[in-house]
Amino acid sequence: MPLWVPVRSQVAPAACLSPSPEAPRALSLFSSSSVFPLPNSQCLVWRTDLLVISSFRMAEQPYMVASDSETTGDDKSQSAFHDLAIGIEVGTSKCSIAVWNGAQVELLRNTRKQKAMRSYVMFKDDTSTGEVPSGGASNKTAYEEKEILSGSAIFNMKRLIGRADTDPIVHASKNLPFVVQTLDIGVKPFIAALVNNVWRSTTPEEVLAIFLVELKTMAEVQLKRPIRNVVLTIPVSFNRFQQIRVERACTMAGLHVLRLMPEPTAVALLYAQQQQQQQQSLHGSMGSGCEKVALIFNMGAGYCDVATTATAGGVSQIKAMQGCTLGGEDILKNVLYHLLPNFDSLYSNRDMNKIRSMGLLRIAAQDAIHRLSTQSSVQINVDLGDGTKMQRVLHQSEFEEVNRNVFEICEKLIKLCLADSKLAAEDINDVILVGGCSRIPKIRSLVLGLCKKEKEYEGMDALEAAVTGAALEGAVASGITDPSGSLDMLTIQATPLSLGIRVHGGGFVPIIQRNTAIPARKSMIFTTTQDGQTEALIVVYEGEGKMVEENHLMGYFKVTAIPLAPKGTAEISVCMDIDAANTLRVFAGAMMLGTDRANSPFFEVRMPTLDDAHGWCAQALVKTHGSALDLTTIPKELQPQKVQ
Amino acid sequence: MISCSRNPAAFAFSMPDKAILISNVDRTFHFRSTRMTTVARSRGAATGIRCCSGKKGREDSVPRNYYELLGVSTDSTTQQIKDAYRSLQKKHHPDIAGQKGHDYTLMLNQAYRTLMREESRSRYDTACGRRSEWSGSNFSGLGYSSWSGPLRSQALFVDEHRCIGCRECVHHASETFAMDEAVGSARVKVQFGDHAKNIEVSVDSCPVNCIHWVDAEELPLLEFLSRPQPKKAYGVFGGGWERPADVFAAAKSLKKQLKEQEEKKHNRNHKGDAEIEPETPAQTKARYHASMKLQFQELLQVFGRLGEFFVAEESKEK
Repeated sequence: MPLWVPVRSQVAPAACLSPSPEAPRALSLFSSSSVFPLPNSQCLVWRTDLLVISSFRMAEQPYMVASDSETTGDDKSQSAFHDLAIGIEVGTSKCSIAVWNGAQVELLRNTRKQKAMRSYVMFKDDTSTGEVPSGGASNKTAYEEKEILSGSAIFNMKRLIGRADTDPIVHASKNLPFVVQTLDIGVKPFIAALVNNVWRSTTPEEVLAIFLVELKTMAEVQLKRPIRNVVLTIPVSFNRFQQIRVERACTMAGLHVLRLMPEPTAVALLYAQQQQQQQQSLHGSMGSGCEKVALIFNMGAGYCDVATTATAGGVSQIKAMQGCTLGGEDILKNVLYHLLPNFDSLYSNRDMNKIRSMGLLRIAAQDAIHRLSTQSSVQINVDLGDGTKMQRVLHQSEFEEVNRNVFEICEKLIKLCLADSKLAAEDINDVILVGGCSRIPKIRSLVLGLCKKEKEYEGMDALEAAVTGAALEGAVASGITDPSGSLDMLTIQATPLSLGIRVHGGGFVPIIQRNTAIPARKSMIFTTTQDGQTEALIVVYEGEGKMVEENHLMGYFKVTAIPLAPKGTAEISVCMDIDAANTLRVFAGAMMLGTDRANSPFFEVRMPTLDDAHGWCAQALVKTHGSALDLTTIPKELQPQKVQ
Repeated sequence: MISCSRNPAAFAFSMPDKAILISNVDRTFHFRSTRMTTVARSRGAATGIRCCSGKKGREDSVPRNYYELLGVSTDSTTQQIKDAYRSLQKKHHPDIAGQKGHDYTLMLNQAYRTLMREESRSRYDTACGRRSEWSGSNFSGLGYSSWSGPLRSQALFVDEHRCIGCRECVHHASETFAMDEAVGSARVKVQFGDHAKNIEVSVDSCPVNCIHWVDAEELPLLEFLSRPQPKKAYGVFGGGWERPADVFAAAKSLKKQLKEQEEKKHNRNHKGDAEIEPETPAQTKARYHASMKLQFQELLQVFGRLGEFFVAEESKEK
């Protein structure tokens, strides 16, 4: 340890506890010397509590942030909590932090006493400190919404992170005040913020990292301890590639992701706790209690998730999950296009005045949508600045008509989720509505109607439920126990998407089906498609499509040393393993003919291996190798059956 | 026991490049990485999955079947399985137990998934030969005692569990009753082997009233059950022989079980018909063609034979 103590004592206070503007500086200074392998220690420690922006491959490397409390010694009193993970929910529009304080979950407030902080990063020119980006979490000077929409701030990073420029969501983001450029070749989109009248490029991960540094600093100041471990909530529809990007942003911010939790499962954990406490107070015993089934509908600004959970005795089992990229942003967009049909053409040239008036219109529309939750019609009065004024009344019926497609998709998601979990509306005990959009009357009536319920579940704050659940998970997974038993609980997660490999002809064969309880491990035997084939390509995909093109490419590797045999006789075993932290490992190799033994050492690959979700990697593979390295399935009867 | 047709060879999930080998307990590679450890072994012959700690002692304590793993009885309800699963998850889930719970939780998930669905559960039960099925399968339907004279509706039966081995019955009717020296109790050798009067005396003479007149139909079942049956062994535990304390109750339940099994089989056959997937148009067409071909083949053959016959006749005439 002496190796890194002196270095840290100089740097850590500045990097961790200084106001955020210094942090990005520190990163460029110390990024090169941020790795300290410890002599005779059991693990490698990566110094990542400095903001490190470099192009390391996060996908393969486990990170652990060095403990800062070992040497400082001033937080001995909190030693039990020194590595307690905090829960962070970075929403598309708002974000919040929560932490288990020893008795309950507490939401942290920023200097402006806000629990829900607007998520954005302002790349504003500040002559005194240079061009330093600052996030929206803790800055003293609260930027007004108008300024955020001036093009100098990047927001909606949750919608952009990990998406290729062919993604329709990225295309839809082009009407945002900052620049989103696409070339439609399946690479990372170019995004840029306006600094000094220049469009300065950045990436969604970088923006998220800067924002997380702010959150981290804020939490460290308030909790008076360094923060390392976090439980982050993510939308259900995030694929593994997007998850990796979120993890990478966390690593840049010096945070170690203990768990990435789909938002509804965090809510499910909170629900499990509430049910358990309720039953304890009723019966006073710690029995397993009766089972309760809940449907959780979560719709925020960017994503819509549905999950069903069965809860008993503090254990919540996720039965099924469905999610899609649909949220307040889409509703807002629909309203904007309704108010101003030629919205696209008006703002395509990105002149400053237009951006400003677009911002004003966004604010007015957003406000109108909020007010429509309680009123049947709202008056919109907005001066767009360029001489045009908009004055009109928006009725609720009009609003619902404009957003009919949104509601239809919601309905479809709920039906799919119920079908997946093999539940009928009558089986559901509680309907939990969370997220900002759950306040829209039409959505409430829609969800309750589908579940045949009069009332929704009460006792959960729609905006705080997910982050509270994340903080609970953080406490449980950090090994904190509570004498009153309020941490005696668990969420058994499920895989939201199927995982499988490509077979001959471009078909997708799932190995781990969706909604399988995590941890999960499944193996399947495949066979060759060519006579004397000695090598086979394992191309791993995630998704629900029958053909691989419809799914997300996770990575690929080659299995070698297949014994010489006619086609269809050699056996290649492919095993997939997902652990509780949702890490996917693919394990594959060829078997000796007619035996259960490996022909040569197996390959183990942690997925995703791809740096970008390049669909054309798969195309290149097909172009170069054709079907020479293809695999195919073997009949079900011949698959290994784990019967004990 | 586990029967696995084929299994991937022993492997270990690890991150060798990032991990430092800290020990190789019992020649089992054991990696510890900074973030997580997943050491697993897929060995079809044992369990498929084994605890990661790799201690040899653990190998013996690996549960033999899913019921044992969950700690429930083989006839438990889905609710009991659910409860057991949840309470075990609370102990072993990696969120609570850390990474070492990974493999155990994998087994739990596998067991749960298998046992929660009626279809896969019954398949699993048959595959591992559950007790309720073997006790029925051993039963041949025939009794052990022979009959002297015509079959009658009533028969004699000695409740061997209650018999104290006083030999009174053997003394009074030695052709009918015999002593089983190995078990130490009397049993019926030949139904109505002695004079009716002698039999009556011997029944009355029993000090514990363990000789019963029973329905001839029930006799085989009772005789089957009163013989000690081999008990299923679990390594050191279990094994040996057992027989029910109350043979009449046992007979009743076994009868019910057999009936249920019969019904199930019957239902399955029926269901099997219903469950057949509806034919696709292409299949219908193919089937139609095939049946046509078969029919015509018959006709053609008949024609062919007729033709041959006529040709033969003609040649004969010539």
